[in-house]
Parts: sequence; C-alpha cells; structure tokens
Amino acid sequence: MSIRTSLSERLFNGCNIAFFIFFGLVTLLPFVNLTAKSLSSEAAVVSGSVNLWPVGFQLGTYQYVLEDAMFLTSLGNSVLLAVVGTALGLFVTTITAYPLSRLRLRGRKWLLLMFVFTMLFSGGLIPMYLLMQALGLVNTMPALFLPAAINVFNLLIIKNYFEALPDSLEESAKIDGASNVRTLFRIMLPLSLPVMATIALFFAVYFWNDYFTAMIYITNQDLKPLQLFLKELLVSSSSEFLKDNVDAALNTTPQSIQAASILLATLPILLVYPFLQKYFVKGVLVGSVKG
Amino acid sequence: MKRNAMIALAIACMLVLAACGGNNGASSGDGGGNAEGAEEPELRMLMQYSLFDPNEDYMAKAITEKTGFPVKYEMLPAENADEKLNLMVANKEDFDLMKLSAPQFFKLATAGALEPLDELIDSYGANVKAAIKEPSWQSSTIDGQIYAVPETGSGISIGEELIVRQDWMDELGLEAPTTPDELYTVLKTIKDEKGVIPLTGSKDAIFGDISAAFGIHNAWNETDGTLAHKAELPQMKDFLTYMNKLYSEGLLDSEMPINTTPKAIEKFSSGQAAMFRMAWWNAPGLVKALEQSAPESEIAVIPYLQSAEGAAEVGISTAITWYIAIPKASENKEAAMRFLDAKLADDVFKSLAIGEEGVHHEVKDGKYFPILPKFNDDLNNGSAYMTGTNEHTYPDYWQARVRKDPVLQHYYETFQANAEAAEIIIDPMSTAPPIDAVSRNTQKLNKLLTDAVIMFISGSRDIAEYDQFLEQWHAEGGAEMVASANEWYQSAGAGE
Amino acid sequence: MKHNDAPAALRRGTLAMRPARSRAGQRLGADMRRDWDLYLLLVPGILFLLVFKYAPMYGISIAFKDFNIFEGYAGSPWVGGKHFANLFQSPDFARVFCNTVIISVLKIAILFPLPILVALLLNELRHMLFKRTVQTVIYVPHFLSWVIVGGLFIDLLSTNGGLFNKALGLLGIEPIAFFLDSSVFRGVLIASAGWKETGWSTIVYLAAFATIDPGLYEASKIDGASRLRQLWHITLPGIAPIILLMFILRLGNILEAGTEQILVMYNPTVYNVSDVIGSYVYRMGLGNQDYSFTTAVGVFESLISLTLVIGGNALSRKYLQRGIW
Repeated sequence: MSIRTSLSERLFNGCNIAFFIFFGLVTLLPFVNLTAKSLSSEAAVVSGSVNLWPVGFQLGTYQYVLEDAMFLTSLGNSVLLAVVGTALGLFVTTITAYPLSRLRLRGRKWLLLMFVFTMLFSGGLIPMYLLMQALGLVNTMPALFLPAAINVFNLLIIKNYFEALPDSLEESAKIDGASNVRTLFRIMLPLSLPVMATIALFFAVYFWNDYFTAMIYITNQDLKPLQLFLKELLVSSSSEFLKDNVDAALNTTPQSIQAASILLATLPILLVYPFLQKYFVKGVLVGSVKG
Repeated sequence: MKRNAMIALAIACMLVLAACGGNNGASSGDGGGNAEGAEEPELRMLMQYSLFDPNEDYMAKAITEKTGFPVKYEMLPAENADEKLNLMVANKEDFDLMKLSAPQFFKLATAGALEPLDELIDSYGANVKAAIKEPSWQSSTIDGQIYAVPETGSGISIGEELIVRQDWMDELGLEAPTTPDELYTVLKTIKDEKGVIPLTGSKDAIFGDISAAFGIHNAWNETDGTLAHKAELPQMKDFLTYMNKLYSEGLLDSEMPINTTPKAIEKFSSGQAAMFRMAWWNAPGLVKALEQSAPESEIAVIPYLQSAEGAAEVGISTAITWYIAIPKASENKEAAMRFLDAKLADDVFKSLAIGEEGVHHEVKDGKYFPILPKFNDDLNNGSAYMTGTNEHTYPDYWQARVRKDPVLQHYYETFQANAEAAEIIIDPMSTAPPIDAVSRNTQKLNKLLTDAVIMFISGSRDIAEYDQFLEQWHAEGGAEMVASANEWYQSAGAGE
Repeated sequence: MKHNDAPAALRRGTLAMRPARSRAGQRLGADMRRDWDLYLLLVPGILFLLVFKYAPMYGISIAFKDFNIFEGYAGSPWVGGKHFANLFQSPDFARVFCNTVIISVLKIAILFPLPILVALLLNELRHMLFKRTVQTVIYVPHFLSWVIVGGLFIDLLSTNGGLFNKALGLLGIEPIAFFLDSSVFRGVLIASAGWKETGWSTIVYLAAFATIDPGLYEASKIDGASRLRQLWHITLPGIAPIILLMFILRLGNILEAGTEQILVMYNPTVYNVSDVIGSYVYRMGLGNQDYSFTTAVGVFESLISLTLVIGGNALSRKYLQRGIW
C-alpha cells in the first residue's frame, strides 16, 4: 500500500472537498440569516435590511423566548416524547424486523405485504380519532407515540440490514445452542449499531418534527410538543390567520422573536446527529465474517 | 451484550410507563383553583386559537372571580381548526360553550349539534338580551330559533387604506390622486422619476380602495333590489383591465402574486416601493421600520378615490365575527347561559373589557385610555375570552386598545375619518342568517375568484376570458349561492 | 478472492432453499419447536399494526358514501362510485394528474440519485472532522418547514434584489421571475426540494456503508484498483439492496409530488404547471370538509401506489433476484 497518492486522486480529493465546502455553505446560509434576524431589532427585520449580520443587535428575543412558560413546557414535552417514542419505536420495530428478515419464516411474504399495505392505505383521521378516544388516549402523551411505534419504512430498512448480515453468524449461534432471541440480542444487535443509530435518528426526528398528531389529539396546553407550539406561533402570525381578526392582529409575534423561536426549537434535535455519528463507522463486521 | 439489551428494554418500558403516568398526573392537576366558585359547576369552554395559555391568563382568573363560575378553557388548533372542531363535536365532547367563527357556527347549527337558546335566554339571559341589538340576533337565527349569542367586534371600522411616501410626492410635485386616472399618472411619474416600485401589495389584499372606485365595494352588492356577488359585476372587467394595465406597465409590483403582507410591508418600509395599502394595525411596525431605514421619510394617507361618477365610496361588512353557542352535548346548559349573562352585567362587562379604572384604564375627555403596561399585562388577551359584547358600550371600550400606541391611534382615526368623509356602503349580506349554499361555497369560490383575478391582473390569463371564468364560477356553486342569497334578500326585504 | 462477497448479499434473497418435507403439519410443528421465539417476537409489532393501522381501515368505506361526520359511518348513505366519477370527470383532472406525474417523475429522476452520489462522495472524504462537520451541516435544512424554506427561496430568487438574480446580472443575464414564470417554476420546485432533503437522505446510505466488509477494499488495493473502480465494484454493489428498497418505496409515492411544498410555493400564475392532485383537492375542499371526496382521491392514489410497489417488487425479484418480500 503506497502512502503517496496519485495526481488524479489528489485532484479528485481537492474537488470533493471544494464541493462539500460549497454545499455546506449553501445549506448553512439560511441559518445564518435566521440567526442574524433573531439578534436584530424588529424594525430592521421588518424593513428587510438584515441579511447575514445582525442590524441593531439585541438579545431580548432570546430572553423573551426562554422565559416563555409555553415554550419551556413544550420543549420538555418534546424531549420526553422523543426519548420515549424513540425507545419504544426502536424496540418494537427491531424485534419485528428480525423475524421478517429470516427467510425460513412462514408466511413471511404475506406478513411483509401486510405491513407494506399500511404504508399505502390508511383509514383516515376520523376512525383514528374514534379509536384514540375509545382507548382513552385523547389529550394524553401516549397518543403521540403509540400509533407511531411500528414504522414500516424503518422496519424495512432494519430488515434489509439484517438480511445483509452474513448467514454464518446465525448458524454459528445456532451451533452454540442460542435461541433466536439470544441470537438477535447477543449477535445481531451489536453488529447493527449503524442501522440502529440511523433508525433511532429517524424516530427521534419524526417525533421531534411531528406537530400534526398533537394538533389532532392534544388540546391541553401542558401537553403540547414544541413543534406544535412553533407551528401555532407561525400560523397565528400569518396573514391568512389574521384576516378578519383585528384583535389577533394587534397581538402578533414580532418576526425577530419568530426567528429566535425557530432556532431554539431546532437546535436540540440538531445536536443529536453528531452524537450518533460515531456509530456510522465502517467495518463493524470485521472479525465476525468468517470467509 | 445481553445485559445491555435487557437494560435497554427495561429502560424503554420504564419510560413508557413514566410518560403515561406523568401525563395522568398533569391532566388531573388542572382543575384546581376553584375554591371561590364552589357552588357553580365547572364549565368547559372551547375558544378560537390565540397564542397564550388560556388557563393561566389574568383574564381567566378575573372572569371566575367576577362571575363565580370556574371555567376550563381549551383552544382549537391554529391550523385545521374546522377539522378538529368537527371531530370533537361528532364525538360528543362535552363542551358547555363554544366560540365559533361564522362558517363553523353555520355548519354546527345546521348539523343539529347546537342547542336552541330562546328559552334559556328568556329565563336566564336578561343581560344578554339587553346587550345585543336586533340585527345581530337575526344573524344567529335559523327557522325562527336562536342558536348562538352573536358577538360583534369593535363596531364598524375600516381596516385598510392606501398610504404613500409623501416626501417623494412633494419632491416630484405630485398631488394626492383622487381618481383612478390620476392614480395612474402619479404612479407613472413615480416610476419614471424615482425608479422604485410605484405600488406594491400582497396577494391576498387585491380588493379595496381601487376596486371601490370602480364600483366594487363588497363581496355582495345590491342593485335594484337584487344581490350580485362581486364576481358577477360588469365593473369587474373594467377594474381588471385597469389593474392589468398597471401591472404590465410596471406600475404595480410584478411580484404582487407572491407577496405576503410582511413582504409588501418590507418593500414599502425599506424604500423600494412608494405606495401600499396598509392595515392600520400594521402601522406601528411599518412606521418604525421606515423611520429607521429612511429617517427623512414622511407618510401620507390617500383619501378614498372617486369613481367616474365622482363618488368616493367605501365598502364594509358588519357581519358577526364570532358566535357563542351551547352544544347539545353540554350537561350544564342552564349554567352556561347564566355564565354568559353574568359576564354581560354592565359592571362585570366593563371590567372584563377594559379592567379597573385607575389600574388598567383612565378616562380623558370621555374617552378611555389604557394605563400601560398594566393594561397590556392583564388584558392583552381579553378579546379572546369575550362571549358576546354589550353592543352599546363596547365600541367605546374597545378603542382603548387602539390608544395603546399613538401611531396606531393616529392611523386608526385617520382611516375612520376618511371613511366617514366618503360614503360607507354596508355589505347587504352582513345581517344574513346562516344560508346553507352560501356557507358551503363561500370559501372555495372566494379562492377561485382571487386566483382568477391574480391571473387576469398579471396577464397570465386574457381578460377576454372573463365570461368563461364566470361560467365556471357559477358552475362550481356560484349560481346556487347567488340564488339562495337572493331568496333570503327578497324575503327579508318583504318583511321590512 | 473476496470480490464476490458483496454480491453474495444480493444473491442471498432467493437461493436459500427450505428443506422439503412431506407433510405440512409435521413441518409446521418442527418449525414451531425450533422457532417459537421468532414468532413470539412478531407479536407486539403485529398487535400494533392491527390496532393502530388495520382497525381504522373501515374508514375507507366513506369513499363510497356521502359521509356526514355528524351522522356517523352507519348513518351516511352509500353512493357507489360517485366521488370517483366526480374526480375523473372534473375538467381539471387531466391537467392536475399530468402535473403530478411530471413533477414526481422529475423529482425521482433528479433527486433520487443525488443523495446516493453525495453519500458516495462523502465516503471518499478522508479527513474525519471535516467529514463529520459536513454531514451534520448538510442535513440541517431538513428541519426547516416548507413555509420557511419557501420564504427563503422567494427572497433568494426575487427579481427585486434577490441574490440569485443579482448573480445572473453579473453574468449579463436579465433577471428571471422564477416564481411567476411557468417555464422555470418546476425547476424551482425541484431545486428547493433537492436543497432541503438531499443531505438528510444520504443518512440511510451512510449507514449501509457500514455493512461492507473492509477486507474487500484491502484486497482490491492490493490488486491495484483505483478508487473509482472500488467505488463502482465494491461500494455501490454493497449499498445496492438499500438503493433498491428506497427506489421501490419512492415509486409508491409517485402521486405525492410534494403537496405541502407546492401549497407554500405556487401561485395562480403558475397553476398550469404546478397544480397537483393534492393542491387541487385542497382548494376545492376549502370550507367544506368533503371527507368522502378526499378519501376517494386517497384511495385512487393508494391503488396506483400499491400497483407500482407490487409491480416494482416483482420486476426487481425477477431481474435483480431481490425485493422487499
């Protein structure tokens, strides 16, 4: 193996790095813009004079948002929801994906079709609401995570990953007399950290971003998650909402505070990914693959 | 590894249980703080969306204190409110009171979900009866029965009017335009001399000053005893031709079809545009922003334009904004009505509308002025809790809200004075009762019309096709809607 | 010698043979004894599925009824295929359907391969800190809602001082009204969707890289294979199963051209190229809550999706020996 790389390879590396610097900047600019707005005076934001740097610097917006009891309550709700929802979803989806990844499972094809079918057809909002009410889940936190605990998209990705693991793993576990459950938890899962990290992220992001479920099932202010709060903040400042409602129009949220709220509501979930990245390492299978 | 997995499983289970348990605790803890009104049943009231916690607000406490009724408030969501309302009503959620928008009220009343109130009002609603004027009651009466307490807002008030950069007008030696033709000349001069956008506007505020000068005042217009929707007016084509001319000559912001209101305000307040139809409630923000970006600037309000016949007219709808209904599913109907009545007792109503004198408001020259910041701190969300207003006194009380800010007050008062100088034409459908074909079609047909108007103005559709559009508008429910509206109008006219 | 291992993952799909036994009952019994816990693992998932997905399925029936929410399911009369007829006979249906398919196909053709390409390029970055930073940064736009992204693009592409048109001006190009010009508006839809979701969509592929045996790379290096060759012969086949899965699922979404995005970004001047089924149904349903019609549209879309997913899966099994099931 040579340390020295060829010219074409260096050229490729250079271009690749340049591409990602460009890509990164392009995706980051809007956040710089939002940050600048959140730190600017409202007058400067209204007249559109804020681009990438604050005009009329102030921190009052952040103080306002962070002292808002509704923001803090909903932040707490969202963290709880993301943690509980992800734990439950990851667990249920994984133990369901494993049997479905075993080719010897009887009726596997039909079971999979039955799962995939629910990605395409749903009964709609009304029967779902009736069901939730019958289960006593309306205006409760479990309404937000129980129906999402089994996610077919995530299930297929995990199943796909399990299928890509070498058969020899299971065979050797069988020879050692391990049960299927033992095989899953002792052999398969430790080798599945990258996909577990990915699906955990998918679940966490889903629960973090989902405002719709809460909008339908939650009217209790104390149970609203952050994205619903944010959605309502933005909608209640939109011209459609304020039309014909003078009293609401007199109380709109300043744009600089909207910007600060968006940033503060997004930041926590953005911090999750860097922590999960360490599981995306190549070669988790080294040593487990027996030729 | 196995142990790790088991621990993970155990944690997951614990978290799930914790979430369920924690939540139960939260919801049962909510009913507290009703020691005072122990004799009255706790009422459950559904409100429209507003950005605050309705059970923690000063107003919630003040209402319970004044009326003796403990009330638990819940809000509709800001988006998909109608959908959520339907779900809750269809599932017999036991609200005692609901504050509904006009379409929501019409729908629930016709679906039979609301309690007729006549007897309750007769027995327990003396204050309610006294507070609300006859025309308002008409709009909540279906087949001779009252289904809601109608809530008018601030009284008749004009929301929007054209404003212009007066410093530029002076610089160019221009007079305020009084007719559409003069407006055209002013805009053209501004474009040629200043190179800015002469007139900007937002996609959802096309009708107003200019359309009124063409004889399009309101959604519904009356000629010779017959109602016509504005889409049907022959003047519409003239108006569109005029606007299309402005657009194609670059006198109207080319981005008008995508402008939101904040965007239009941005363009005006950053000095990119010279004229804009502003709502008075946006004045404080806009004025401040303009002062910062162009300190020497000056704003003037353009009086209402005159039509070809020389009349300056302004249209307005006095339709009821909110309806307070008692659902059939309520178990406290009588208490709910007593609660509404208690809130409308003169002294209680006054203190809920503008607080206590000397604490929240003061009286100068017979006008009510807010005492800041106490007024804002306590009463900012007052309107959201209103359940019917005293129509005789509330317009005066309400103006205290406008006097929170001198800029706000200035534009509010100027707009109203200008409207009074012109002729105010009230939408004849303002006092109409719920009419099925109207409430079913209005939103959809309004969207269809605004979309088409934008296409005609921007030239993406030829005005020669207007009749074709109108045919489609009629076919999609317009014909049915206009017929029903006229049916009511004729019968109401015969009764008077 | 290791070169064949990655494709082995591909082949594994169908070739494993079940032991043939004579009597079905005996076979089932043996399976149950051996694999009872495997079946047990399925129970919670199937329970969730039955309760939260299948139990409410009766709601689909309202596509064939005149549903009135206050009358309930039993109280609403059956009307057969009326709502489907309304949909197909609507004068706008053909236009709206075509727009949906065109925008969706464009999105698949352009935006489906992008994250794969970006993931492959990311995989080639050698500097770990830089790589992780880039990964974190490019997935960020996913977290902005369409309302915000739409507003950003309107600003960026404005003819009135928008950054992009300023740049075009430097190149001597006349400003383009991207949001008002039917000939470019679809491009705006696709570019903004790409900007928002490409980074996020790479994640699933990044995880798949982990399943590739590093030994393969070592071996090919010894053979003197270039990085491009490695990418082509090892990395790409290694993530082929997940690409295939994502593609089949994407096909199932073909009638979802991005309604939320379009509702935020379009305007009447570009309806002719951007009005899709979702946005059309939204406008027609304003103030109405016509649950039956909306459900009928949903059923129509689902049927097409189901056909495409089943068809895509069958084709994939036939030609690539691998599918979702």
